[in-house]
Amino acid sequence: MNALDRALLIAARELAAERRHPDGFVAALTFTGLLVLMESLAFGPGQARQPGVASALFWIAILFAATLVATRSFDRELEDDAIDAVLVLDGGREALYAGKLVAIWVVLAIVALAAALLSLVLLDPGVALPGHLVLIGVLGTLALPPVIVLTTLLALRVRARVALVPILSFPILIPQLVACTQGAAAALTGDASAALGWAGILAAFALVYGALGLTIVPAAIE
Amino acid sequence: MRRVPENASLHDVTVVLDDRTILRGISLELGPGLTLLRGPNGAGKTTLLRAFAGLAPLARGRRSMPGGPPLYIGHRPMLLRGLTARENLAFLAAFRGLVASDVADALRKWGLGDEMDRPVERLSAGQRRRASLARIETEQVGLVLLDEPFADLDADALVRLRAALNTSLIRGQAVLMATHLHHELDQDAAHSYVLDDGALREL
Repeated sequence: MNALDRALLIAARELAAERRHPDGFVAALTFTGLLVLMESLAFGPGQARQPGVASALFWIAILFAATLVATRSFDRELEDDAIDAVLVLDGGREALYAGKLVAIWVVLAIVALAAALLSLVLLDPGVALPGHLVLIGVLGTLALPPVIVLTTLLALRVRARVALVPILSFPILIPQLVACTQGAAAALTGDASAALGWAGILAAFALVYGALGLTIVPAAIE
Repeated sequence: MRRVPENASLHDVTVVLDDRTILRGISLELGPGLTLLRGPNGAGKTTLLRAFAGLAPLARGRRSMPGGPPLYIGHRPMLLRGLTARENLAFLAAFRGLVASDVADALRKWGLGDEMDRPVERLSAGQRRRASLARIETEQVGLVLLDEPFADLDADALVRLRAALNTSLIRGQAVLMATHLHHELDQDAAHSYVLDDGALREL
């Protein structure tokens, strides 16, 4: 069994557990839905549909949603020490990181899609370049989880993990958040070249932090 | 101590956790057969098993595991909640590249024929323990590490565990077991050690 097979096995295991007990998914979906709703009420329809405002709040919601999903995922691993059964195995640590990334991306992509549809209904921002917006959505949801999963793994045995993960990961994720926001705003306003530029930056972030996590994780998990 | 180079071993291992030295310069080589590990609570038995499993950080020394990763069954069942017992065991066997076709048979032998497709969080502590011990039969590896395997087990499960252990020993597997119930197993053990204050002594 090669590394990719092992990672996919972990992802399938994670998604099966999440399907049976969708705690993380439901929490993330509720949080993002409420945030979009509160945004439309707090800013009023005029300001809330501004591309910069709508994009920024959407991606902040997705960032928190990613943290919720990752935290719940590793809580499940720590119950009954299930994680130890994987860490003992050859390639288990890398597979755990990569598999969690895949599974969390799938969950986050569904949450982002639902939140985007809700935003379109409630805010009616007007989408000039829907294909570009989807591209930013896909790459943005790929660029955020590597840092969150990595910091969750590093803080795995820390009692204050729930507070520590955002404190450690959010400062690192500010460039990704800016790229997501600017890219989405560009897609909404019809600036194709800017949207593609930000998409490239997001792809680079996803690759760099994904690879960095794979090199750090084997030695860093306790 | 055995001197077969293919055996799993720890060489001069020291483990320090939270500024406390748990294991002090331990060297131990595990050949085929049952090795019992005894000692008072807090002596470091679990840490020694975790050192063999690669789960304890070594402050000094080295771990050699030439036969591939061991099977480690700790105090807790180590099964992922949200999955059934069958799914958990099939996943772990598949990760090792083993065919998972005999998972259902193994769980039936452990008395979980009607429970194997329920999520593990709906099983009792004893049933979860049975499911985790069924891994001895679904993941046939060179070294089996068992930490107090008799906890939570009823009389039927104890018989089943003895049978599984006998099969493992006949197959030539090495089994390292930390237990307080050593009297029942002394006659089967190839070696017995006492761990006290981080130091190991053969009986």
